[in-house]
Amino acid sequence: MPDDFFKEIIDAIVNLDEEKALEYANSAINKNMNLLDVIERGYAAGIRRVGELWEDGDFFLPELMRGAQIMQTCLDLLIPHLQKGTEKISLGTVVIATIEGDIHSIGKTIVATMLRAYGFEVHDLGADVPAEKIVEEAVKKEADIIGVSALLTTTMIGQKKIVDLLKEKNLTNNFKVIFGGAPVTDAWVKDCKADGFAENAIEAVRLVKSLLNK
Amino acid sequence: MLFQEWLKDDSKIVLFDGGFGSELIKRGLKSGKIPDILNIEKPEVISDIHESYYNAGSDMCQTNTFGSTPLNLSHHNLESRIEEIINGALENIKKVRPSERLIVGDIGPTGEFRPPVGNASSDQWYSSFLTQAKLLEPGVDLWHIETISDLEEMLTAIKAVREISKKPLIASITYKRTKRGFFTIMGDSLEKCVKALNNEDIDAIGANCTLGSRDMVDLLKSATNFTDKPLSVKPNAGQPVIRGDKTYYEQPIDEFANDIKEMIILGAKIVGGCCGTSPNTISAIRDIINFM
Repeated sequence: MPDDFFKEIIDAIVNLDEEKALEYANSAINKNMNLLDVIERGYAAGIRRVGELWEDGDFFLPELMRGAQIMQTCLDLLIPHLQKGTEKISLGTVVIATIEGDIHSIGKTIVATMLRAYGFEVHDLGADVPAEKIVEEAVKKEADIIGVSALLTTTMIGQKKIVDLLKEKNLTNNFKVIFGGAPVTDAWVKDCKADGFAENAIEAVRLVKSLLNK
Repeated sequence: MLFQEWLKDDSKIVLFDGGFGSELIKRGLKSGKIPDILNIEKPEVISDIHESYYNAGSDMCQTNTFGSTPLNLSHHNLESRIEEIINGALENIKKVRPSERLIVGDIGPTGEFRPPVGNASSDQWYSSFLTQAKLLEPGVDLWHIETISDLEEMLTAIKAVREISKKPLIASITYKRTKRGFFTIMGDSLEKCVKALNNEDIDAIGANCTLGSRDMVDLLKSATNFTDKPLSVKPNAGQPVIRGDKTYYEQPIDEFANDIKEMIILGAKIVGGCCGTSPNTISAIRDIINFM
């Protein structure tokens, strides 16, 4: 029964068992299963469960990163085999980066993984990315959301730069801008005239969904 | 040795310094710079901050070397200037240190995580901490390895420092609070950390940063169950808030100081502050200690 199979996949991700997770992915390919279903109800569901465990304080960074790595490895295997015409329909496109001058990337990487798990197309530009480059990529990828992370109070000012740049280029209405990072607050978001912030990856998914009415 | 005397004296509470980064922000620290480079670029500002803490009543202050492991400096393309930075740090604090007060060698995390979070190995950590410790050793009275979020990294740092120094050592880990208690972001529980550190050749076990003073009271209550070694606490004064282009830490000083008083009553031997605390915070704690 497919449901049992999806449960096995979820368990493999939650147990951080890469060997099993890959075994199931290969099995799904060989049996010509609906791979979109397998991804959504197996692997993405698995990483969402990992996220819940992290929120509950049962999983920590190593588990989160390992889960994300295993999921990505399996997606890399499955995605090329997606049957033509059944390519994943994305709920929206997100460009995400850690701002220039800031090398912290773990939180941002986890947010990117979670957003992908929940059906968004995510372009992760990495860390220490200039505001101009973030805006440029958002335009190129026709993004719906720009997500900017900053962990230092000294680099936060770069988040404001994104909003100001969009205004300069008359692009304010083209994108929603959201912030992440420990020092970010409501007051800062209001000051910058951004569209919101999230304190963790699960909150980020809720925020993106609500901004795009999904 | 003065620090050892303080530890043996039951009536003595050792007063550490407060936040450094927040003091630099007040003085207009430019975006993106790590504080350590200011040992060379703005030595008078660094000396001024140290002096303000000694004047406020700190028994001991930390060198401005939190980020000065070679691994961390390499993230900011400053590895080649490590000797200059650390020598500058030692000069800046030595200039203003009053008699009967101490200089603490500050060692912060390498910024590199072990797999699967990052790619660091214990050997890399060890070599990095050893390089920093060798440069700091001649100018310090004792050590503070702080804000470490991985027990493995802390044990490696202790090993490196002890390779070249027998000076007293305070080992402070940074914890977050979860539904299940206090843990590092790598998943080490408070109990696991304190018990492990209890077996190490160190003089005090500490916790600093991440937590505000209220949460630190609860952490201390728990920590006292796992060790008889002296305990050190340096909590944050809440989380930073940005308004316009200024950063504020909004916890009232007397609230913070009263929490520190509670921690002293619970058994803390060494107290101070981390992010958001200031010389005014230290003065308030000094008044409390003198009154007790």
